[in-house]
Amino acid sequence: MMETLAALFTPQLVEATVRLAAPVILAAMAAVVCERSGVTNIAMEGIMLVGAFFAALVAWYTGSPWLGLVGGAAAGALYSLFFAWAAISLHFNHVVAGAIMNILAFGLTRYLMMVAYGRQGTSNAVARTLHDYKTAIPVLSDIPFIGKAFFDQTPIVYLALLSVVAWAWIFKRTRLGLSIEASGEYPMALETMGRSVVKTRYTAVVLGGVMCGLAGAFLSIENSNSFTEGMTDGRGFIALAANIAGGWRPVGVFLASLFFGFVDALQLRAQGLGVIDLPSELFLVFPYVATIAAVAGLVKRSRPPAAVGKDFSVEGGGD
Amino acid sequence: MTTDPRAGPVLETRGITKTFGSVVANSDVSIRLERGEIVALLGENGAGKSTLMNVLFGLYRPSSGEILVRGEPVRFDSPRDAIKLGLGMVHQHFMLVPTLTVTQNIILGDEPSVLGHIRYRRARARVAELSARYGLEVDPDEKVENLPVGLQQRVEILKALYRDAAVLILDEPTAVLTPREVDELFATLRRLAEGGTSIIIITHKLEEVRSLSHRVYVLRKGKLSGERATLGTTASELARLMVGRDVVLSVDRPEPAPAPEPIFRMEAVSALGPRGLEALRGASLAVGPGEILGIAGVEGNGQRELCETITGLAKATAGTVRLGSDDVTGWSVARRMDAGIGYVPPDRRASGLVVQFSVEENLALGRSDRAPYSRARVLDRAATRASATGLMERYDIRASGPDARASTLSGGNQQKVILAREFSRNPKFLLVSQPTRGLDVGAIEYVYRRILELKESGVAVLLVSMELDEIFALSDRIAVLHGGRVVFESRADATNPAEVGEYMIRGAAAGPAARSEA
Amino acid sequence: MRPDRARAIIMTSAAAMAAIGSTLYLASYFAGGLLALAALAIFGFLRRSELGAEGFAAASRSMLKAAAVPAIGIASALAIGAAVMLATGYDPVASYAALFYGGLVRNWHISVLNATPLIFTGLAISFGFKGGLFNIGAEGQYFVGVMAATWLGLKLNLPAPLGVPLVFVVGMLAGAAANLIPAALKVKTGAHEVVTTMMMAYAIRTLSPMFIRANGGDPASSAHPYATAQIGERLWLPLFKDVLPASNYRLHVGVLVAVAAAFAVRFVLDRTDLGFKIRAVGHNPIAARTQGISTARITFATLLISGALASMAGVTQVLGLDHRMFQNLNAGYGWNGISIALLARNDPIAIVFAALLWGVLDAGGQYMARTASTPNAIIEIVKSVILFLLLAEVVYSSSGAAIKRFLAGRKAARAASEGGRS
Repeated sequence: MMETLAALFTPQLVEATVRLAAPVILAAMAAVVCERSGVTNIAMEGIMLVGAFFAALVAWYTGSPWLGLVGGAAAGALYSLFFAWAAISLHFNHVVAGAIMNILAFGLTRYLMMVAYGRQGTSNAVARTLHDYKTAIPVLSDIPFIGKAFFDQTPIVYLALLSVVAWAWIFKRTRLGLSIEASGEYPMALETMGRSVVKTRYTAVVLGGVMCGLAGAFLSIENSNSFTEGMTDGRGFIALAANIAGGWRPVGVFLASLFFGFVDALQLRAQGLGVIDLPSELFLVFPYVATIAAVAGLVKRSRPPAAVGKDFSVEGGGD
Repeated sequence: MTTDPRAGPVLETRGITKTFGSVVANSDVSIRLERGEIVALLGENGAGKSTLMNVLFGLYRPSSGEILVRGEPVRFDSPRDAIKLGLGMVHQHFMLVPTLTVTQNIILGDEPSVLGHIRYRRARARVAELSARYGLEVDPDEKVENLPVGLQQRVEILKALYRDAAVLILDEPTAVLTPREVDELFATLRRLAEGGTSIIIITHKLEEVRSLSHRVYVLRKGKLSGERATLGTTASELARLMVGRDVVLSVDRPEPAPAPEPIFRMEAVSALGPRGLEALRGASLAVGPGEILGIAGVEGNGQRELCETITGLAKATAGTVRLGSDDVTGWSVARRMDAGIGYVPPDRRASGLVVQFSVEENLALGRSDRAPYSRARVLDRAATRASATGLMERYDIRASGPDARASTLSGGNQQKVILAREFSRNPKFLLVSQPTRGLDVGAIEYVYRRILELKESGVAVLLVSMELDEIFALSDRIAVLHGGRVVFESRADATNPAEVGEYMIRGAAAGPAARSEA
Repeated sequence: MRPDRARAIIMTSAAAMAAIGSTLYLASYFAGGLLALAALAIFGFLRRSELGAEGFAAASRSMLKAAAVPAIGIASALAIGAAVMLATGYDPVASYAALFYGGLVRNWHISVLNATPLIFTGLAISFGFKGGLFNIGAEGQYFVGVMAATWLGLKLNLPAPLGVPLVFVVGMLAGAAANLIPAALKVKTGAHEVVTTMMMAYAIRTLSPMFIRANGGDPASSAHPYATAQIGERLWLPLFKDVLPASNYRLHVGVLVAVAAAFAVRFVLDRTDLGFKIRAVGHNPIAARTQGISTARITFATLLISGALASMAGVTQVLGLDHRMFQNLNAGYGWNGISIALLARNDPIAIVFAALLWGVLDAGGQYMARTASTPNAIIEIVKSVILFLLLAEVVYSSSGAAIKRFLAGRKAARAASEGGRS
């Protein structure tokens, strides 16, 4: 039994934890930003999917995974702009708008698969993936046990780690962060101080879209070499759970996302090693069960932004 | 007054009209404001005062008319434009983000920053400097949610001063303050006016107009019904302008009978507040049949927890609640209702009504499982309608019919629906919280009359209100809630508003000092 | 005979005509449509005698107006779909011709078969919405229903009149049980049901191959999608063909169960104490609680009933059509149920029609893909656009009014400023 555990818990496991956490980290940061601004975003699943598709398409068409990365981020931003329009300007219920965006994303990517590749299922493989650009940061990557995990990684993993630092700073020290916070806690206070809640929320949702797009790009052109229909597999919702479990704060959410990455890595590793003779489904189901446990156990510890999910209009608040 | 005779008005409106759909909130309103002047804008609830102020502040765009600042016509597309021209507003519901600090709230929207990076040290220094200069002390690093209401209002004023406001507009600034805090606020405002700031104070309280303002505008039903120099007018003239008829807002109160055995008793009840802190600490109260006990207190001193432990919405952590001979402490909300506890909650739209439901559905709420509203758990629509029609008539509820959506009713009629529902259950004990918040004078009179009628029929009434006038208008006995404790209790005719106000703000510490002052 | 007696008799026979007519139509006896139309005409006539000519005209105008909104929404969505097809090199005219011929005529029975589970899942999700809950994981409860029906179907050896109701009951209990954890967590800790039911759905889907293997599925021998063994024939739902020989051999009576369920849901929500409480909690839980309604109990009940309704889709699918469990992970009845509930704005009867529309688009889309070789994923896009446009309807009307006000305001301002200048 000890041997089994020793075989499981290796530096490779830590490395896989960080790598598999990357898309969840990015999407969960998107959730933090959107919800702190007052927008409930369950469209992340769909936004990621669109990002993954366009990243693969651009990378395949141009041969450059870097352009693919840009394409994925841009597609994520554009698609979330559409979501923002419905939820903020057209005053759709946020959850309903998100559900529609998810449904549309599945249809759109399936259709575009046929248009671009003439088939369903999995897209053509890209020539080079971002995994080919794995880079070790000198010195730091030599730190024992965790060095390789955090400092010998692929581009989008670095971007994910960077996004945590960036957002922690933005919320703590910047004008944008302060505005987002006010927009989610008490939007009228922001509006009466002459800053537009609508613009702030659009900004938050579109920046969230960029991160979801990157998360999608990770799935299609960094962690694999092609787009597969429905390849996000509920990660948008897991990110939502990570956001709740992490208490709507970048660092907490980062740790929660790492936990999901860890569960995923453990699942793959346990399966791969065949250390325990159980049906593979029992491992695959891990992340979902962990998500439910995390949401159930941690939800009460912190409180969501007061105005999250609530529609905002200036004259609606009239006397 | 330090008005410079050569300078024109600082702020002026000409023929402002604002409509929401078919509702006319302001019609042809023209006012002006001189430098260093304090002007009161007086009017009943719903007279259009707040709408006018939101137009002045760029939150609403006027449907017609124009605004002039220092003689120049201006157009406000958003509060930003108003702020730029030196207008500052202190809203009735403070526009403060509770999770942010005092400094963050003050600088929000106008942060000293380099490339989006906020220079907090400089911001904090500026806030400290402003507090010192205007004598508005407040800790710049404290989170706003931890501040008492009076200090939150200071932060609102500092927000305006931080932006160099030449005109300060205050919307019902005294609604949530104790008498002493009101005095402090007025002193601050006078000081500011002497320094050249022009001030508009919106209120429906005649006293405030008389003690503070130089000039007064009266609004009625969205229109200006008069302009007077404060010194040249009388309270009764202003009241007439405000309501359009003579009003005497005192109700004939029957002499309290000597209290027999109380119907309702709570003993040493404690309860936790929203943040897990003890918000109600060992409160004991008793109300006899045919008696009204008024609970005075500044908002947030345990009123909410008091109501929730009495109705069963929240659990008491200690103590007992009794109705008659029953210990109801562990009972559910429904069981307490059946046992005879009635409840008129403080916020009609949030907790009193399902506004998407029709009037008849709201009247059936909480008793839909029994006759006449249902038979064998199947709703009896005809009987429900018949019962609703009867209640609407008896309680004078004006609506297009029993099937009218509650959201389409006026505030007064919504409150009548709640009264009709609670009173028709024949409660033994009625808990009433903030029964007239936001109602016009006519509706207030109606609510008072109904509560007194119920009392006369022998029901025990516990009245929770932030309005001292209301407490004194209705109560036989008065208790003060401060910091979750009952710090004072007296027969109504043996005390006065000043004494009660002193207990409201200082708690038990007010003790003998309050007595001697009063 | 007294006039009200006569009226009652006419009403009853018209209702019977409508029921028989639409059943026949569902069974591909299109002449049944005429019978339903005739019933409609009788209703109209009675209504007219009640309201008078003018009142009737006004009522029909407002009905037409109400019908115009979805019609315009659907037409616009089809136009957008056509634009997408043109932009990507497909022929919209041929595609749509195939779509409607396939969905409404040629493969109408497939449309009905498609609609059947969607009615159940649409009802499930709208039931949740009524109580203020979003059971986004109806897909999971669908699979639970499928598994329960398959398992019982393989084990149970009872005559149909006993067995079929039993399978439905057990399936519904299983579907309710699938929502037990999300419901308990929602009530105890406030964990959001969107996350928990969604994760339950993914978990159930992920585990379902184990069930298939345990019940006769052989991954080695059978090609994808692999499936369990077939359930006993005694439990199969009756076919329309048994009575109406010209209808398709696969068309089962599940659709009638679904329509009955829609009426039952409507009754529960509109006419019972439970439904009243569910709606009260859905609109305003605080007010409901203040009035002594146990929001926890109602929330619990709402999620469980919603789960039971979703699982009925799975039970019907197994007993009526598949007769086994397929590893059909892309069926998407749960996801599509969300669209149906939104589209029908939670009106149980409207759900039947919304589900039929979706069924037609799906069946027609497949026919289109086969005959016009246009990718049927375009249908998914058209569906989302329909949803978007119909939900935005409130928005057009209010923004239309806002535009009018804005223009009026501009005109007034211009007039004022010109007046000022002169």
